[in-house]
Amino acid sequence: MMRTRLMRAMALALVICALGAGTGALSITGQLLDYEKGYVFFTTGDGFRVAPDLRLRSYKTGGPTALQPQARMYARATFDAAGDVSELDLSRAPLTFAGDYAAAHKFAVALSPPVANPALVPKHGGGYCANTVPGKLVPVTITVQVPPDTAPTDQVYMTTDISAWNPQAYLLTRINAMQYRLVLQLLSGTVMHVLFDRGSTQSIQRGENGLQQQPYLLCVGDSTVQAYTRTIYHWGDEQHGNLSAPQAFPTPYNPAPFPNLPTPPPSP
Amino acid sequence: MSDVPLRRLSLRLAVLALFALALCAPAGAATIVRLHANRIAFYYDRFLIEADGNVRVQTSDGMTVTGQAFTMDLRLNRFMVAGHVHVDSPSGSQDGAALADFLSFNRVYFVPITTEPDRWTFINGDFKHPVKGLVMPGDTFYFPDLAHARVYLYARSAVIGAQAFVRFGPSRVALVGHAYVPFPSYYLNFSTNQNLGANSLAGANFDGTYQFAGNANAISAVHVRYDTVNKAYLSFEQHLSSKNAYAVFSLNPATTTSKYWNLLLDDRPSKTFEIQTFTQLHTVQYGLGQPFQAQQVTNVQLTQALKRAFLQGNYQFFNASLLAPFAPNINAGAINAFFPYHPSNASLGISTSDEQFGKLPFFERMRFGFGFQHNSYGLQTIGGVPYTTIWDHYAGFTIYSNPIRIGSPMKRFTDLYLNAILDKQRTWNSTPHYIDTTSTTFSLSKTFNQHLSSYLMYNVNNTGDYYTNGLQSVAYAPFVPALNGSSYPGYAAFHGQATLRTLSLGATYTNLDYFTFSLLARQHKDFPAPIPFLFPLPPTNVLGQFLYPNFLGQPAFDITGDLRFRLNPHMSIDISRSYYFNYENLRWTPQFIFQVMQ
Repeated sequence: MMRTRLMRAMALALVICALGAGTGALSITGQLLDYEKGYVFFTTGDGFRVAPDLRLRSYKTGGPTALQPQARMYARATFDAAGDVSELDLSRAPLTFAGDYAAAHKFAVALSPPVANPALVPKHGGGYCANTVPGKLVPVTITVQVPPDTAPTDQVYMTTDISAWNPQAYLLTRINAMQYRLVLQLLSGTVMHVLFDRGSTQSIQRGENGLQQQPYLLCVGDSTVQAYTRTIYHWGDEQHGNLSAPQAFPTPYNPAPFPNLPTPPPSP
Repeated sequence: MSDVPLRRLSLRLAVLALFALALCAPAGAATIVRLHANRIAFYYDRFLIEADGNVRVQTSDGMTVTGQAFTMDLRLNRFMVAGHVHVDSPSGSQDGAALADFLSFNRVYFVPITTEPDRWTFINGDFKHPVKGLVMPGDTFYFPDLAHARVYLYARSAVIGAQAFVRFGPSRVALVGHAYVPFPSYYLNFSTNQNLGANSLAGANFDGTYQFAGNANAISAVHVRYDTVNKAYLSFEQHLSSKNAYAVFSLNPATTTSKYWNLLLDDRPSKTFEIQTFTQLHTVQYGLGQPFQAQQVTNVQLTQALKRAFLQGNYQFFNASLLAPFAPNINAGAINAFFPYHPSNASLGISTSDEQFGKLPFFERMRFGFGFQHNSYGLQTIGGVPYTTIWDHYAGFTIYSNPIRIGSPMKRFTDLYLNAILDKQRTWNSTPHYIDTTSTTFSLSKTFNQHLSSYLMYNVNNTGDYYTNGLQSVAYAPFVPALNGSSYPGYAAFHGQATLRTLSLGATYTNLDYFTFSLLARQHKDFPAPIPFLFPLPPTNVLGQFLYPNFLGQPAFDITGDLRFRLNPHMSIDISRSYYFNYENLRWTPQFIFQVMQ
């Protein structure tokens, strides 16, 4: 995860590049965190000293503006030769991050010298849950093998923590006698916990040992496609026992395995 | 029982349930974040909370932060406050530009402004000793891009349980489209603990759930429901959960005379043992007045994990009438139906885990056990002998194959797969009677591409119902049914052994986004043959679906279409209907099966 954030920071550094603007002055465009006590802060966390004669202008018109710098606002900051921000062009509408961040970073003010953060060292391993660049739409093919006693007409669903464990959140479709499949377009970086069921919380899958199954972790990586397969050993509403579904009172004991036998005519 | 009002019993049950739940649901240890702001917006699609104007954040570890703007990614479990930030912590106060709290990592990143800006990191809640200058993750102070996101809810206050729930104060919620409906509060659970999602309600065509209260261990909800039997009604449900136990109490429907009071309990006292119970009380009463009908059923299930198997015991008892035969009926026109039955049954069985046959793609699992059925008013009469208790024991096995590829493995999405399943079981009864069941299934499947797949499946179900001591012809006395002037002598060959053959062709198309359509065509070739109007059709549930899939007299042909359409990330519509090719004058199923999933 830390590596992910480091990569995001690098990506930001790439998109904030200098705009020469014909005058040779350095400028960067980004989103503001704060403006107070003589400093303006961008979402990179960097704070820059502002010049005493700071000019506030509209990014759109280039003219004077009534806007005041504040959090969430977008701005283009132009630096003077001393490294102070001499002009802020403000916009409420999103602006594309631009400018030479590396060049501007040397003007950022910080009392303490940087200290390496070991938590940001990229970690290897961890599968799709680690080292993922987020934001890419990835087709994820989810295939489950169901217990062999799953009836041909049964419907199978996926329930997840991001759908408040609604047992009918995602419908899977049968692809053969023992497998069901679902293809979802999910953003890379998505992390969710999932279980499978037959449409009710009573039917949520059980473990191979017959006990409650802990949710599976599903992490979406940034590969072109992703396959996710699981085996379901038992359903929670399997007929090994006598658990009744809600509002289904037990029917009288029927010794015949045919519940709807016709009634023969009365004997003479 | 008639002297004890059922109403009092119901209330006692409810209080007992809540008490039990309170005991097993200690407050969670997760961080609680209390947020106030002029405007709080919740983006359900992305689990983002954005707040602006006079933001005030209090965390359960004693930190208070004020600022101009707030953003929190509930899934990443981190929040950030920016703009004229003021922090009060147990070790003092400090102004700054922004503060980000990575709750999962116990790290608070802060840009203070002392004489000049700086970068401090507080680790593990130690606000006295900031680590100064520590390099922070690059996106620590990022606001999310909300260009294509839509606000689901507006509020002015929220309580957030880290990685568990969020509860908004008075809210305006976008239920459909851009129409915002005011609610006194709004609760949403996104915990990885699935126990709070357990419910004890029956199915419904439509269920709108309003969770009006809750925390990391409890949810209180009102359901607005519709089904074809009860029509529109309200229900109430209370959930309580802890790490290893949960309980659900519900009253469903709550606004009709026929009420079901449900209590679901589950506890796992050890890693290998689990207890589940389900109790249902059915009353017919006006409001909470004296019931004039009452029934109760309780199931208890015990599961013990074994090495490569599990042992499961089940016990069920049912009281068909809890009221005395002639209980005074205070409501004119109400019926006091009395049924003296109170049957019970129990079973104890072992199921083995799947074992592979060497290196072959075939697996087997076995099951065996015993049990009894009891009804003091009689279960079955065989050869003139009435039985009130019948013991049984059973043994069965299943052999199945993993999908076996047929065709080239080099061609992605174009290969064929073969599956085979064989299941067989015999059940012996303490009466002169045993039952054999065999199910055999073969399927051939083909996935054409990511959008389209299909399968061909052939299933044979053999059921033999055998009586010994020469009683078979008594139990299945041959007769020739005559219906509408036609006789069907073939049925006389049926002596309790049935064979149901089903050939199925299924196909599914999905656009990988919001639309899925599946089509299932089936041909049944059964013995005994499906004689129209001879076999009563099985009962259906409130959704119009048959309660059991295999039965005598299935239409020779049927075709079913199922359309699922996702309206938004939180709501889908499922519509299905079957066509029976004029079997028993039935063309289409009487109604569409229409379900809205929220």
